[in-house]
Amino acid sequence: MKKSWIGKVAALALTATLFAGCGSNSGTPAATNNNSGAKATDKPEATEPAKKLEGKLTVYIGFQEDHAMKAIELFTKETGIQAEMIRMSAGEILAKVRAEKDNPQASVWYGGPADTFVQAVQENLLEPYVSPVSEVIDAKYKDPNGYWTGIYVGAVGIASNKDFLKKNGLEAPKSWDDLLNPKLKGEIVMASPASSGTAYTTIYSILQVFGDEENGFDYLKKLHPQIQQYTTSGSAPGRMVGLGEAGVGILFAHDIIKYQEEGYDSLVMTFPEDGTGYETGSIGIIKNSKNQELAQAFVDWALGTSAQELGKTVGSFQNVTNPNAVGPEQAVDMSQINLIEYDVADAGAQRQRIIDKWNAEVSK
Amino acid sequence: MSAMFKRFKREPLLPILIVLVSLCLIVFIVFPLYQIFKASFIMSDGQIGLDGYKRVLSGGGLSRSLTNSLVLAAISATLSTIIAYMFAYTFAYVNIPFKKLFNAIAILPVISPPFVIALSAMLLLGKQGIITKHLLGLDNANIYGLHGLVLVQTLSFFPIAFLTLSGLLRSISPSLEEASQNMGAGKWKTFRSVTLPLSVPGIANAFLLVFVQSLADFGNPMTIGGNYSTVAREIYLQAVGSYNMQAGAALAMLLLTITIIVYILQNFWVGKKSYVTVTGKPTGQRRMIEKGSVKNALFIACMAITVVVIAFYALVPIGSFIKLWGINNSFTLDHYKYVFNLGQKAVFDTLKLALIATPIAGLLGMIFAYLIVRTHFRGKKTLEAISMLSIAVPGTVIGIGYILSFNKAPLALTGTGIIIVAAFVVRALPVGIRSGVTALQQIDPSIEEAATNLGASRVKVFGSIVLPLIKSAFFNGLVNSFVKSMTAMSAVIFLISAKYNLITASIMAQVENGRIGVASAYCTILIIIMAIALVLLNTLVKWLSGTNRRTYYGKDS
Repeated sequence: MKKSWIGKVAALALTATLFAGCGSNSGTPAATNNNSGAKATDKPEATEPAKKLEGKLTVYIGFQEDHAMKAIELFTKETGIQAEMIRMSAGEILAKVRAEKDNPQASVWYGGPADTFVQAVQENLLEPYVSPVSEVIDAKYKDPNGYWTGIYVGAVGIASNKDFLKKNGLEAPKSWDDLLNPKLKGEIVMASPASSGTAYTTIYSILQVFGDEENGFDYLKKLHPQIQQYTTSGSAPGRMVGLGEAGVGILFAHDIIKYQEEGYDSLVMTFPEDGTGYETGSIGIIKNSKNQELAQAFVDWALGTSAQELGKTVGSFQNVTNPNAVGPEQAVDMSQINLIEYDVADAGAQRQRIIDKWNAEVSK
Repeated sequence: MSAMFKRFKREPLLPILIVLVSLCLIVFIVFPLYQIFKASFIMSDGQIGLDGYKRVLSGGGLSRSLTNSLVLAAISATLSTIIAYMFAYTFAYVNIPFKKLFNAIAILPVISPPFVIALSAMLLLGKQGIITKHLLGLDNANIYGLHGLVLVQTLSFFPIAFLTLSGLLRSISPSLEEASQNMGAGKWKTFRSVTLPLSVPGIANAFLLVFVQSLADFGNPMTIGGNYSTVAREIYLQAVGSYNMQAGAALAMLLLTITIIVYILQNFWVGKKSYVTVTGKPTGQRRMIEKGSVKNALFIACMAITVVVIAFYALVPIGSFIKLWGINNSFTLDHYKYVFNLGQKAVFDTLKLALIATPIAGLLGMIFAYLIVRTHFRGKKTLEAISMLSIAVPGTVIGIGYILSFNKAPLALTGTGIIIVAAFVVRALPVGIRSGVTALQQIDPSIEEAATNLGASRVKVFGSIVLPLIKSAFFNGLVNSFVKSMTAMSAVIFLISAKYNLITASIMAQVENGRIGVASAYCTILIIIMAIALVLLNTLVKWLSGTNRRTYYGKDS
């Protein structure tokens, strides 16, 4: 009995030391054994395509999972180009692109607010490309140098819980000042600008609506006691309001619509009539990455109508930037709401300063 | 000294092993941490400066998150250790019904995918919670904040403490306690002056493990922390939300310093006392507590916790069949259709990588434990401390450190499966090492010396004496490695690639999108896979031991 034990353990131990050896030596070229699988699929990239349409494109996508997967499928179907993707939040993509800058793993960054792209441009992480397709896109939705181009637009909106409003005899807020109603004390949720692009867009918009920074910050200070919680994720307020955890939430309209479509029936959406801001979801090419030609083909495709019309079939309800594409019917009619002039470059440049000030003066 | 030299001469394998193991640690822990250390001094424009530390230490949100985390970790670790000790004691000393059930329940939270407990807490105890609103009629329950975190973390982490403690309590030789009772000491006195002191290293280990896990916890504070900001969350927010890697790295360095201090304190406290109880001399069977108020109290307490755990977990599979929890409670299979359509790759990739990482982490853990407890060489303490570091660093930081370290030749590993496996192993290692160390400290070295004197080599001693004696710790290590790998989230979120997707990343995305049903379906599948794997592992260990004698899940012999 003892002996069989020894034999088996020895066998196991042997395999393990083999593994351990691989683990510790994996840096040396010798130990590529269990790497061979990965290496093989790497080859098309390593040998650099001679002709167009060869090689495999890697894309970082900031959409939700099903949208991301369907997009890659459709791209391959329509262009014949092989592609694979990784889904992350925009902030995570930026962190990853930055960390990989000496050896970029992906060629295209698809989706995520323009201000993360502006940050990436400042850090010299993107390759400019002016797509011929982008001609039809409104100038305010793209970078003049082609570092990023808008693929969708989403306005900041207010989500309220019907039952909560009824119980407290309230109407859905229609202006920023409505949010200061004493009955909403501790009932509002929004994301923290430190973690969420949504919240930063909101705060930057508020500063614009109130004319100057001083008035804007006065308002934010008055808003602070109304806030029950600053969530980490930008869309979480929609879920919380939908579930009745909070009464009112501030988030992007397309996220509110998404929750409504998911079945959160108690959500009502309104917009501040005194003005609201918007995000421009963008696409860009990562600097020094492989397969630049394929990447350009991807950008062309993403700006075209079929890619832009895909969103509405998989629960993405942003407005599209290509005027020839038919957006989701549930989407907000942007002409019906009071949109401010949103200067993406300025918003990006002021970002750290405004967040620091907000941290110091508002969220103490 | 000369004896040691002779041993080294006779056992050339040992120094080789030490070098190999150290190399592993240097490449996969020290080097990435050094990269983060470097990042904490590099400003966004590439200049070197102290801005990151200034931001953290200037007061305000960042330094508050440090104190918040320490308070939270202290409370969670204390509660977890107490609950775990109670469970472990009950198993080893008290004859109660449903032992198997309790045992399984105590393990359940270990196999919890991230977010599960936090989400359940929200659905049970939130403003619209089943318990708070519908049972108690509370209108304004608030689960967000410190109290919610303490609840969720205690439930998530007490099993880790339990795994560390249960093996130890079971291996305490009954003869010592019998001696104490024969000399007239009552049960309480025996407990206080024999059992409890003997379990001190286990308690300290359990506390330390939970403490650092709580410090580095990321998923729970993200979901349920509310405005109670903690370090791990703040690091993520700085590095990912504010694009400020420097402040994130600086904060991570401070967190690391705290962990090292805790580790040193713990070492100092447990000291060099001997806790040997497995001496190789024959011992009788423990007489279990059969009746009395102690038994009843422990039974009720275990039952209560079991009910709570079941309540938290029942929601997950139920939720996966419900259209939209709390709003539209009709039955649906849509969530599973989604997972089977789009989630297959993630499920298989995760399983494959976890299966590779498990034996590596399990065996490495035991080898480490053996080196730490049984051998003497220069730098051993450092080795031990380094092996513990990875658990203390929030996963996000490890993830970013890995990308920074393994992005260029000669260690170009980004995008491969190796980098994910390495992260799994490194994250799972500390728990394995700790339980191995705890178990080994209980075993009298003279047993091994006897074998050595009879001519057995060190490898043979390790294989035929040490491993069998610490089998349950080894098994715990395997279980923990597998489970940790399957549920790892924050560390690997930056390491996933197009070739390797992970379930947890999918779960996180679904939670973010408010699709609680799909997230629950993913979690249910994950839990089922892990449950099956645990049964298989148990069978494997039984087969290895060649007998149906004591195994982890079985009753005591």
